[in-house]
Amino acid sequence: MSGGETSWRTSRKLDQWIAFWSVPFFFTLFGLVFVPLSWMMPPRSPQNSTPHIVDFMQSHNLLIACVILTLAYGLAPVSNACYLIQVKRMSVSPAFRYSMMIGAVTGAIVGMLFPMFCFGLGAFRPGYSSAVLTMLYDFGYLAFIGSLGCFCVMWMAFGLAIILDENRILPKWLGYYTVWQYVTELMAAPVWIAKSGPFAWNGLMTFWFAMILYVSWQFLVYICIYRAIKNQLEAELDNAWADLRPTVAPAKSSA
Amino acid sequence: MNTKGQRILLWTAPPAVALFALAYLVFPVFSPPLSPTLTPDQVAAFFRDNVTGILGVAILCNLIACSLVPLFAVTAVQMSRAATSSPVLTYAYVICVGVGTTAFILADYCWGMAAFRPDRDPQLVSLLNDMAWFFFIAPVGTIMVQNLCFALSVYLDDRPEPVFPRWVAHFNVATVVLLAPSAFSILYKTGPLAWNGPLSFTLRLTTFAVYIAVMFWALLRAVRNQGDDRVVLA
Repeated sequence: MSGGETSWRTSRKLDQWIAFWSVPFFFTLFGLVFVPLSWMMPPRSPQNSTPHIVDFMQSHNLLIACVILTLAYGLAPVSNACYLIQVKRMSVSPAFRYSMMIGAVTGAIVGMLFPMFCFGLGAFRPGYSSAVLTMLYDFGYLAFIGSLGCFCVMWMAFGLAIILDENRILPKWLGYYTVWQYVTELMAAPVWIAKSGPFAWNGLMTFWFAMILYVSWQFLVYICIYRAIKNQLEAELDNAWADLRPTVAPAKSSA
Repeated sequence: MNTKGQRILLWTAPPAVALFALAYLVFPVFSPPLSPTLTPDQVAAFFRDNVTGILGVAILCNLIACSLVPLFAVTAVQMSRAATSSPVLTYAYVICVGVGTTAFILADYCWGMAAFRPDRDPQLVSLLNDMAWFFFIAPVGTIMVQNLCFALSVYLDDRPEPVFPRWVAHFNVATVVLLAPSAFSILYKTGPLAWNGPLSFTLRLTTFAVYIAVMFWALLRAVRNQGDDRVVLA
């Protein structure tokens, strides 16, 4: 900003921008994997007949979706880290970002890799009995839609940090929306009991309502994070202490 | 800053590697690696015949599963010394380590579970074995991103005396390319990409072993050169 327009390669915030632009890339792959590739989403009914379930669990596309996910799921940590470092700039305890970090670690396997593997395993070996396939179907959907606690702790810590922050890194209304997002996670808890109706895993409340809130929340967070990175002053950057121009011989040692 | 703690943590890596090598050498499932083409009955028979060896290694790996974490933690500390605008790459790295290690632990549990009651329905033993191979071979996404984050943090540090030499970053990018084929093990039951094939199994494990050795050396050097340089991560 202060040094006039420079090329993106020399931006001092390049690390943050790379992480930031990986987020839409990740979510695009994530969407491709779960919607048009596997047709796992929108969720099929828990009441589906066994032949339907067997047929779906043996579709070859599930394997391709699995491969793309195993290659892409490592980007989820980058997205989370991109949000986390804004919490680091806030006037709140490190406990908030550590909570988010641990939520991100636990959530990646139980809410993403494991459910996708349940579907992939069914398709990998066509000889499995229908009892095994229906169990994998249930386990896959329940783990994917019913993984709640890891995300609860992330949204709670993120929302509270925004609300408590005095440095005004992210807007306060986003903090309240994030708390709301946390409440929608609680609302999905009955998927472990209900097999039909609005609280089943494909229900109006637990899936559709929660999904609309989540997607719009994700977009808003993303825009706010963009503004937060853009507005961060050069003097506040972690590398402000390091003189990056090699022409200046003596490095500034005590900054 | 005193780097004694980092050096102690680093030197926990060689015994950890020795234990992993031992586990690899005595694990019946790996000598030779079980073929994905075995029928459930053949898999169940294999687990029935090798209960002791499989359970022994499953228990050992349960204990040592996280024993390379200190090496990765020291890597994260050294990454945070790079002159980048934020610790975003370090945070992503640490989360990747947690996720990747969990996948390894799940593989270990699935093999242990298959050997725990090998008289189970062969379909279930076969499912546990498939699941173990899925978790052991396929989820390369996190270590790929982790090594890319490391490489980026080295590339972005253009001070005259960077924490790591440039070639360590190039090496990490190369490991990303060499590890990627394993993800495709899900699509094949025979050939080089199958989970027991030269690309998915041998190349993957060799790359990982060389990677740990190179990082150990690079980290010893980085910690030695650290002196009283500041560490940003908190």
